[in-house]
Amino acid sequence: MMPPRLAAIAQGLCLLLYAALCHAQPAPDGDSLRGKAAIERYGCAACHVIPGIPNPHSKVAPPLTKTGTRAYIAGVLANTPANMVRWLRDPPAVDPLTAMPDMGVTEQDARDIAAYLYTLR
Amino acid sequence: MKYYLRAFIVLLLLAAAAAAALVYSGIYPIDAASAHPMPLYHILHYTMRRSVAHHSQGISPPRLDDTTRVRSGLALYREYCVQCHGAPGIAPDPLARGMTPEPPNLMPTARGWPPSEIYWAIRQGIKMTAMPAWRYRLSDEQIWDVVAFVEKMRELSPQEYKALDNTGRNTPRPSAPRAPWSPGGQLGDPAAGLRAIHQYLCATCHKIPGIAGEDQNVGPSLAGIGQRQYIAGVLRNTPENMLRWLRDPPAVDPLTAMPNLRLREQDARDIAAYLYTLNEAP
Repeated sequence: MMPPRLAAIAQGLCLLLYAALCHAQPAPDGDSLRGKAAIERYGCAACHVIPGIPNPHSKVAPPLTKTGTRAYIAGVLANTPANMVRWLRDPPAVDPLTAMPDMGVTEQDARDIAAYLYTLR
Repeated sequence: MKYYLRAFIVLLLLAAAAAAALVYSGIYPIDAASAHPMPLYHILHYTMRRSVAHHSQGISPPRLDDTTRVRSGLALYREYCVQCHGAPGIAPDPLARGMTPEPPNLMPTARGWPPSEIYWAIRQGIKMTAMPAWRYRLSDEQIWDVVAFVEKMRELSPQEYKALDNTGRNTPRPSAPRAPWSPGGQLGDPAAGLRAIHQYLCATCHKIPGIAGEDQNVGPSLAGIGQRQYIAGVLRNTPENMLRWLRDPPAVDPLTAMPNLRLREQDARDIAAYLYTLNEAP
């Protein structure tokens, strides 16, 4: 049994290593054009203002303008491509309190949508 | 020709006299409680950015994605930087909240500034801000360690940062118990709210219409917040909920990156009143 202090340090190191690996991860290998189509299909603009997507007056959730340079996703995850895909696929699994529902977004659609969102800078 | 030259010299002297009168009269507001006027803010900020870019030319960073370096940078960051700049989910200390200019949140800096410029700014400091020249306190290698951690920090969620931070800084320090706020969603004075927003560093993370700042994109823009249906994606947007959120965001959503900024009740009511004037989506 590791002393708690050592365990905390080990956990910290693991996280740092994880972050270091994430850093190397390239932009999502999605297609922003397909992403735009998917955004319309899933009806994201019913809640968010999204530049380039019709229905620019949604006031439910924050506008997604400049999502490409935002520091956090939904205020809870660091904005990395991997985290964006994770969030899009199942938001309540990340933050059980969120009003954003699980829309059943597939892995490929999530990558494509992320690719589109990252064009918003 | 001679006439124009003489007129020019007279104008120059008048301008100098006006400047001297302004300085001598003492009416220029030097207090930190009021923000810089918007145009002056942008001139100063642009001057700073140009100067940092110019002076950091020719600096080439070492390898920064090195675990030892990042770990040392984390220790230094916790010791010297988090007090003013905060960290994911961690508010700057009270002393930093009253500063003008406001100490920036470093997530956008990590994204937007080249490492050589971050290194230069840490090493040399920034005049007329509270940023000291760390070259007299830290070795160049240590400064690169801090740069390495800042680069890494942008990939840390609040939960991940808290797991790394074993200093206890993330647990609220004992302070005088705060009296409960009177119930209800009564709003205050929007004009006072506009001033108070500057005192709680709101604009170091959010773009807020009417506030001089860099249009920071750490959290979402608050343009249109008056009409938005949810607060932070987790609460229905009512004045009562807005006050609840402003008072202690992590008490509402433990995962949020927005820290408790220890707003006073009246300031919160004033700030909420200002936010409810923002009805124009971006």
